[in-house]
Amino acid sequence: MAFVSSGYNPDKPMENRITDIGPQNYQNFLPPVIKNNYGKWLYHEILEPGVLMHKAESGDEVYTIRVGTARLMSVGLIREILDIADAHCDGYVRWTTRNNVEFILDSKDKVEPLKKDLEGRKFPGGSNKFPIGGTGASVPNVVHTQGWVHCHTPATDASGPVKALMDEFYSEFQSMELPAPIRLAVACCLNMCGACHCSDIAVVGIHRKPPLIDHEVLDDICEIPLAVASCPTAAIRPSKVEVNGKEKKTVAIKEERCMFCGNCYTMCAALPLADAEGDGCAIMVGGKVSNRISNPKFSKVVAAYVPNEPPRWPTLVQTIRKIVDAYKQDAKKYERIGDWAERIGWERFFEKTGLEFTEHLIDDFRDPAYYSWRQTTNFKW
Amino acid sequence: MATVEFKGKTFEIDEDGFLQRFEDWSPEWVDYVKEQEGIKELTDEHQKVIEFLQDYYKKNGIAPMVRILSKVTGFKLKHIYELFPSGPGKGACKMAGLPKPTGCV
Repeated sequence: MAFVSSGYNPDKPMENRITDIGPQNYQNFLPPVIKNNYGKWLYHEILEPGVLMHKAESGDEVYTIRVGTARLMSVGLIREILDIADAHCDGYVRWTTRNNVEFILDSKDKVEPLKKDLEGRKFPGGSNKFPIGGTGASVPNVVHTQGWVHCHTPATDASGPVKALMDEFYSEFQSMELPAPIRLAVACCLNMCGACHCSDIAVVGIHRKPPLIDHEVLDDICEIPLAVASCPTAAIRPSKVEVNGKEKKTVAIKEERCMFCGNCYTMCAALPLADAEGDGCAIMVGGKVSNRISNPKFSKVVAAYVPNEPPRWPTLVQTIRKIVDAYKQDAKKYERIGDWAERIGWERFFEKTGLEFTEHLIDDFRDPAYYSWRQTTNFKW
Repeated sequence: MATVEFKGKTFEIDEDGFLQRFEDWSPEWVDYVKEQEGIKELTDEHQKVIEFLQDYYKKNGIAPMVRILSKVTGFKLKHIYELFPSGPGKGACKMAGLPKPTGCV
């Protein structure tokens, strides 16, 4: 399309410029029934998977239908969500912190028609557009990142593995039969954008090879001291090399000290390290953020490497299925995965899930690693 | 990689319009970039920021942190934005010929 101006004048960029107005006030978008009962809720119930009811002091009832989304979506799909909101909810809709969509209704009679409408909508490929679920002790949406869609440092994809995982755990999304909710998260590199370090089960993209060094351009496009300081194991030092007869400033990497985190590539584009065979995923389990019963926990690495197998990541999905099945069978009510593993002991966790324990899982990062080793004779054969 | 010609000089630039090599910088570069960065007229204050950035980069191999830039030039961040509407990174560093800022930006 030919250029169409929005009214912005490139010759006078600061003229009529509006800044620092922030987001819109959320109160402008509250459904009337929420606004009227704001801060006056008595209790709530989960009527069925994906459907909630909140009772207010005034006696008002609010019904919420939660549906899964792929997070990455087109304007076309957003318009369809808005059409549904127009038809059933007077135009009001909200997104949750796990990127589900919630339709809010002010009376019970509206629940069934909306459910029927949502269940009837499918993509041409056959996937449900708006699967209802994600409440209670279920597997709600996966918090995930950009992957190969948009980022330059990933070691795996995000949208692809998430679709494969949610296809596997679809019945857990639509039911509430687990001991406690299982929060899944995917991050495509160790930056861990999102919730991987504090999720029940997390998938993190990892590299297994040190960066390549583009000596010829490194000094031109990088600030060398930043690359040196970005390394958590001090494997990088400044150095000089001769390229085409000219002496160039560059860096040298001690490969035996490098653990392939990729931080230096984030700071310096001349140190790429993505590799089709080397890259893959690590699986972590046992994290949580809530304070319920036990304190919040970090998730811990239980599988050091599973290969990238696009487009469906079968090994990854099957390994996580094993963890979920063992947990479902063995954990007590209200026990999150981390609570369960700590109660039975991690040696039992590996026994029950059938995962292999390798030396990669033993912490060796600085002084705090010591505290993760066992300084007791209490263990099970 | 794109090259631009301006007043008889050739500059190699990347897709964001940053100079590929610091050594290629010349006063014409500032003249060439200022328009894209929303600057009409170069003042002494612009010069002071550019000169400090270049001195600091030559001496330390990195761009200064914003607080160092403010402290040494005496310009508050607000004033730096008035001078360079795109900010100290995209605006001032680009004009000074420093490498493109990296990290989660």
